Amino acid sequence: MAKMNAPAIRLQGLKKRYGTGEAAVDALKGVDMTVAPGEVIGLIGPSGSGKSTLLKCLGAVIEPSAGRMEISGQAIYDDRWKIADLRALRRDQIGFVFQAPYLIPFLDVTDNVALLPMLAGMSNGQARLRARELLEALDVGHRANAQISQLSGGEQQRVAIARALANHPPVILADEPTAPLDSERALTVVRILNEMAVQFRTAIIVVTHDEKIIPTFRRIYRIRDGKTVEEAGEGRQV
Amino acid sequence: MINLASRDILHGWGKFLFTGIGLGLLVGLTLSMAGIYRGLVEDGRMLIDNSGADLWVVQQGTLGPYAEPSNLRDDVYRSIVGLPGVAETGNVAYLSMQVSHGAKDVRVMLVGFESGRPGQPGYLIAGRPVTRSHYEAIADEKTGFHVGDHVRIRRHEYEVVGLTRRMVSASGDPMIFVPLKDAQEVQFLKDNDALINERARTAANPAFNRPNVPGLLEAVQSSQAQSHQVNAVLVRIEPDADADVVAENIRRWKRLQAYTKAQMDDILVVKLIATSAKQIALFLVILSAVSAAIVAFIIYSLTMNKVREIAVLKLIGARNSTIAGMILQQALGLGMIGFIVGRIVAGMWAPVFPKYVLLLPGDALRGFVVVMIICALASVVAIRAALRIDPAEAIGG
Ligand SMILES: Nc1ncnc2c1ncn2[C@@H]1O[C@H](COP(=O)(O)OP(=O)(O)O)[C@@H](O)[C@H]1O
Ligand SMILES: [Mg+2]
Repeated sequence: MAKMNAPAIRLQGLKKRYGTGEAAVDALKGVDMTVAPGEVIGLIGPSGSGKSTLLKCLGAVIEPSAGRMEISGQAIYDDRWKIADLRALRRDQIGFVFQAPYLIPFLDVTDNVALLPMLAGMSNGQARLRARELLEALDVGHRANAQISQLSGGEQQRVAIARALANHPPVILADEPTAPLDSERALTVVRILNEMAVQFRTAIIVVTHDEKIIPTFRRIYRIRDGKTVEEAGEGRQV
Repeated sequence: MINLASRDILHGWGKFLFTGIGLGLLVGLTLSMAGIYRGLVEDGRMLIDNSGADLWVVQQGTLGPYAEPSNLRDDVYRSIVGLPGVAETGNVAYLSMQVSHGAKDVRVMLVGFESGRPGQPGYLIAGRPVTRSHYEAIADEKTGFHVGDHVRIRRHEYEVVGLTRRMVSASGDPMIFVPLKDAQEVQFLKDNDALINERARTAANPAFNRPNVPGLLEAVQSSQAQSHQVNAVLVRIEPDADADVVAENIRRWKRLQAYTKAQMDDILVVKLIATSAKQIALFLVILSAVSAAIVAFIIYSLTMNKVREIAVLKLIGARNSTIAGMILQQALGLGMIGFIVGRIVAGMWAPVFPKYVLLLPGDALRGFVVVMIICALASVVAIRAALRIDPAEAIGG
C-alpha cells in the first residue's frame, strides 16, 4: 500500500546479473537510491555503466537479481519476490519519456494521452478530458485534435510528457529525453519536467549524459561500474 | 477504450485499401471458380429439366446419351409406348459439332427431335416453332444466331426460325434443334464417296448380286443408304406412374437401359463433371493458400513496421490481448475489404465468361467465412511476433 511521506522510489542493494556462469555480466552491483515525490534527479554515467539496466529495473521491464525496490512505500521487488502484476504497475505507477517521442502515429494528440487512462479502465470521455487538461498544462492544448505527423519535434516531446503524466504516476522515468535537442530546447524540456514534478508531485528520474542539462539537477546519482554514488548538483534555475 | 485496429487502418488506409483490392481480386477469382462449378451443375440440371423427359431409354450397357455414345434403332419406341405407365415417347439424336455462320464458328450440340414429343425445345424467346419437316432450326440464343439466319450444317442449309434460352449440352455448348430426320442424316449418313464405295462392294458380292433374283441388289443397297438410328428415346410417364417401376420394366423386358431423372442427375452432375469438379476444387485450395500467404505477409509486415509502437504500448501497460486483438482485427478488416471487392468483381465479370457462372448466395456466405478464417489464421504469425516484442525495447540500450 502507498504510504504517506514514503519516498516515491527507494532502492536498496539492487543487483542485476545478465547471463550465467562464465558469461555472466554483473550490470548492477548493489544500487541504493531514494527519490522524494516532486523531486527531479539526474542519473549519469559513462556508456556501459549500467544506466539502461537500472532504468529497465525501475521501469519494471526486467527483474533485478537481488535487492529491494519500492514505489511510494509499496514493495515491487524484494530479492527473488516480485509483485504479481508488473504490467498494471507500469500502467498506473510509472510514466515513461523516451529519447524520441515514440507517440502512436495512428492516434491523434488527445488519444495518445488519453490511451493510458483508457487502458486503466477510465471511460473514453473522462480520459479525453484529462488528456486535454494535461495538454493545456503543457501548452499544447491548441494541438489537441492534430495528427502526430502535423506536430513539430518540440510539440511531440510535450505530448510525450503529457502521456507520461496521464495516469498521474508517482514516478516518471526519462531516458535521455534531451539527446536529440539543441540546448535551448533541451533546457525547455527540463524546465517542463521540473514544473510537472512540482505540479503533480511526481518523482522524475532523468537518465542523461547531456552536459547542457546536468547543471540543472539539485541531486545527481552518478553510476559507475554498476554502483551509484550520490552527489549534490548545481541546481541551476532554468 | 478506443479501437486501435480501426485507427491504424484509417491512418494508413491507402496501403490497406490497395492490399484489400489485391486480395479482393483473388477472392473474386475464387468465387468465380466456385461459380463455374455451380454453372456446370446447373447446365446438367437444365439439360435434364428442359428435355421434358421422365426417363431416358438408351443402348444397353451405356451411360448415354449425354455421357457416352448410345445407339438405338428408331423403332424401339414402339415396344416402349405399350408399357404400362408410359404416356409418350420421343426419339432424339444428339451430335456435338462445329457450325460456321459467316465469320462465326460455334461449337453446338445438334439435337434431332420429333415435333410435339419429349425432346423438343422448351419455350421460345423469339420466332416460331419448326413447322416444316426439313431444314428448319431452333437455336439457343448463346449460339449468337438470329431468327432468319441461314446456317450450313453439313450438306444442307438450315433456316433459324426460332430462338430458345438455357438449352445447353452437359458441357455448356448451346443447342440447335432440327427435325429428327435431318439430324439422323447428319449423324449417321455416310458421304457420297462412301456410299458409292459401299454400293460397289455390295454389287461385287455374289450373295447380293444374283442374276436370277431381280431387285435384291437394289433393295440391299437402298437399305444401306438409310439411317434408322437414334441416340435415345425420351419417355414421359403417366402422372400417377412410378418412374423407377417403369424404368425397371423397360430394363427387364426390352433389353435396353433406362434412367430416371435422379439417375440422370447422378450421371450428369456427379460422374460427367467429376474431373472438372476436382480441377476446380484444386484451384480453390491453391487460391485459398495464395490468399492466406498474401494476408499473412501483409499483416506480418504491417506489424513489423509497428515494432516500436507495440513495444511502447506494452510498456505503458497494454495487455497482450489488446495487441493480439488489434492485429487480428486488422487481418479481418483486410478480409472484409477483400471479400466485398471479390464479390463485386466476381459479379461484374461473371457474364463475360463463355460458360455459365452461377454465383450462389450460399457460396458467397461460405466464401466469406473461409476468407475470415484464412485471415484469422494468417494473422497468427504476426500476432506471435508481436507478442514476442519486449517492452524493454522501447527503452534505449
Ligand atoms: N541484455 C543484456 N545481456 C547481457 N549483458 C547486458 C545486457 N544489457 C546490458 N548488458 C551489459 O550490462 C552492462 C551495462 O549495460 P547498460 O545498462 O546498457 O549500460 P549503459 O546504459 O549505461 O550504457 C554492460 O556491460 C552491458 O554490456
Ligand atoms: Mg544505455
